[in-house]
Amino acid sequence: MKKIFMGLAVVLLTLGLCVSTATAKEDIVFAETALITGVFGFAGGELHEGIVDYFNYTNENGGIRGHKIKHVFEDCGYKVDCSVATFKKLTAEHNPLFYSGDSTGFMKAINPELQATKNTLMSGVSYASELTDETKYPRSFIIGPSYTDQMSILLTYAAKEMPGAKVAIVHSDSGFGRDPIEAGKAKAKELGLDLVEVITTKPGSVDVSTEVLKLRRKKPDYVLFHGYVLTPINEFMQQMKDLGMATKFMGTYWSSSELMYMKAKEVSDGYLGVMHLNYFNMEKSPGKEWDAMRAYNAKVHPDKLTRPNFYMFGWFQGMVWAEVIGRTVDAGKELTVDNLRATLNSIENWDTGGIASVPVTVRNNSIPFGRVFKVNAAEGRYEPVSEVIEIK
Amino acid sequence: MRIGDAVSTYPSDEAIFRTQTQKVWMGIFIATLLTFPFVSSPYTLFLACLVGIAVISATGLNILVGLTGQISLGHGGFMGVGAYTAVWLADNMGMGLALSMPLAGLLTAAVGVVVGLPSLRVKGLYLAIATMAASVILHFIFVHWEPVTGGNAGINLQNANIFGINLNSDLRMYFVVVPLAIIAVLGERNLLRTRIGRAFIAVRDRDISAEVLGVDLLRYKLMSFGLSSFYAGCAGALWAYFFKVVTPESFPLDTSIFYLAAIIVGGMGTVLGPILGAIFMTLVPEILKILTAVVVPILPNAQVLLSPVRVVVFGALIVGFLLYEPHGMAEMWRRTRRYSHLWPFKT
Repeated sequence: MKKIFMGLAVVLLTLGLCVSTATAKEDIVFAETALITGVFGFAGGELHEGIVDYFNYTNENGGIRGHKIKHVFEDCGYKVDCSVATFKKLTAEHNPLFYSGDSTGFMKAINPELQATKNTLMSGVSYASELTDETKYPRSFIIGPSYTDQMSILLTYAAKEMPGAKVAIVHSDSGFGRDPIEAGKAKAKELGLDLVEVITTKPGSVDVSTEVLKLRRKKPDYVLFHGYVLTPINEFMQQMKDLGMATKFMGTYWSSSELMYMKAKEVSDGYLGVMHLNYFNMEKSPGKEWDAMRAYNAKVHPDKLTRPNFYMFGWFQGMVWAEVIGRTVDAGKELTVDNLRATLNSIENWDTGGIASVPVTVRNNSIPFGRVFKVNAAEGRYEPVSEVIEIK
Repeated sequence: MRIGDAVSTYPSDEAIFRTQTQKVWMGIFIATLLTFPFVSSPYTLFLACLVGIAVISATGLNILVGLTGQISLGHGGFMGVGAYTAVWLADNMGMGLALSMPLAGLLTAAVGVVVGLPSLRVKGLYLAIATMAASVILHFIFVHWEPVTGGNAGINLQNANIFGINLNSDLRMYFVVVPLAIIAVLGERNLLRTRIGRAFIAVRDRDISAEVLGVDLLRYKLMSFGLSSFYAGCAGALWAYFFKVVTPESFPLDTSIFYLAAIIVGGMGTVLGPILGAIFMTLVPEILKILTAVVVPILPNAQVLLSPVRVVVFGALIVGFLLYEPHGMAEMWRRTRRYSHLWPFKT
């Protein structure tokens, strides 16, 4: 009797092992250079948490077609040398299929190695216009519209709302700030806008009184900010409103976060931001995935009643790569960089269930779409004021 | 102090390695450096190259600040000049590192001499501001001289080779960077026993007295700026060959502060100081990251929670050095050596 039981146990164990081998699929590694500390810390912590939450949520729901996501990361404080070291370390140890990098400098520095040796696709926090060149950056991808496209979307909105409007551009004196300026000037001309002034300031400049006086003389209908997070946009808005000017203010992705109305309060009312994502605290639910994200947040972070758009960026980043994996598996293809890249490029009108504010179509190594949102300071939220604007 | 090493001639008194023991230890050190890349991971090899470049640059700054007493906040800008020059020469003239790096160093030295001109009239904080202004001007040139620098987008190094060997791996870069770092340090050590080195020190200690003694201040201050910038230019060129891209953001003002902190923490005016300082400033943040990761099994969210703490600890360590060991890590090393020489007797 004992022998029969032993025999049965061995058979069951063997069968069990066979079944588990047949069903368990290989984990997919997603590595990240996190930006929890350093100059990007204002956004990096939330962005990281967005990625973490999305992968936990996905894994709790069975993974991607049975593949669980293994997420590894190290914080680098937005320093290129540290980011490159971390990339080497994480890729050597974990061989990730996807990597979330950081600055434009890092994306450029790592590009030759990424192409030459690693079996990895990369996205990051950079929207640098240069990265839209897929022939030069075949392994990198911009999760959204480039800075040039963001500026074009805002200018297109202005041209539609007020044809021939007078526009001024204010940008920071940094690589980030200078990125879309020449293209923006050309776009303004193409749209028939009257570009009356281009002002360059220090990234965190506080005393902007002389610049405000310049703008007062030019009386622009719109002032478009780029290359800032908050300061000095709030200073410009405050001083120009104090002077009784009816100018409308607009800004690109990094200055279209909740920080605008949380810090600048009522001065920010009417501020126009460009965004390819929906915000966390929309008045009405934009879709099922957005509801699921809110529900997951309520479950795991009950203390966090709202989240900035940096969190949404992290969630969306994870979602894009998960979609690419899912589609590649569905097509019966191997999860190789070339197959994944082909899948990514084939994405057209993807409905993200309300996470993105636009149907996602990949073009020019980016997602060149966006909507314009307006700050409602009294309600403490952004509200959509435009349809989807596509940049061709 | 060490006993039994009395010398009877001036050359032996001025020798770089004065004792047999020193030569043996140096041999062991070189052997370790030679075998290191074959037992290290890509990550540690990368860090070793980074340390090597930092050693060259910090040694250059030490010549100016530590030996000659001229404060400079333009070192990052000088590295930028070297980096852009090397990449431009490599991409446009087809030069390999063996030619483009020294030429980049020479051009940077010339720029350094020009930037050093105010040192004849001002010193201390005023000179720091003057060199910082030079750094800002250089940054402006990096951004706006587009045909050469590529403007905001910067330039990519297409042709990274030395004597026809493609420098496409960290292993190859290691065998370029580390010997050059050794040569740079030996160069500085040798400088100390020459008339030029002694003149630098005289200028540092009391420039008026030095002039009275016949030291030409104009000549030696500018020479110090030139030499220091040559080192920075070479380090910048190596940096560019290592990362294969240079943008205006590659060498911000932070870079100058980083190297100033490195030589202060390491020990200004000593040969060992910049080496230890460069190692400290490059590796401590990484070591703190590893220590943070060790806590993960106990505290799963440690990497997120402790990341800001890591930055504070790094800053506190620097402040700690300034407070408790103002002569830097080189002095700690000297004390350790003295102790070990006389052990088990007290120093």
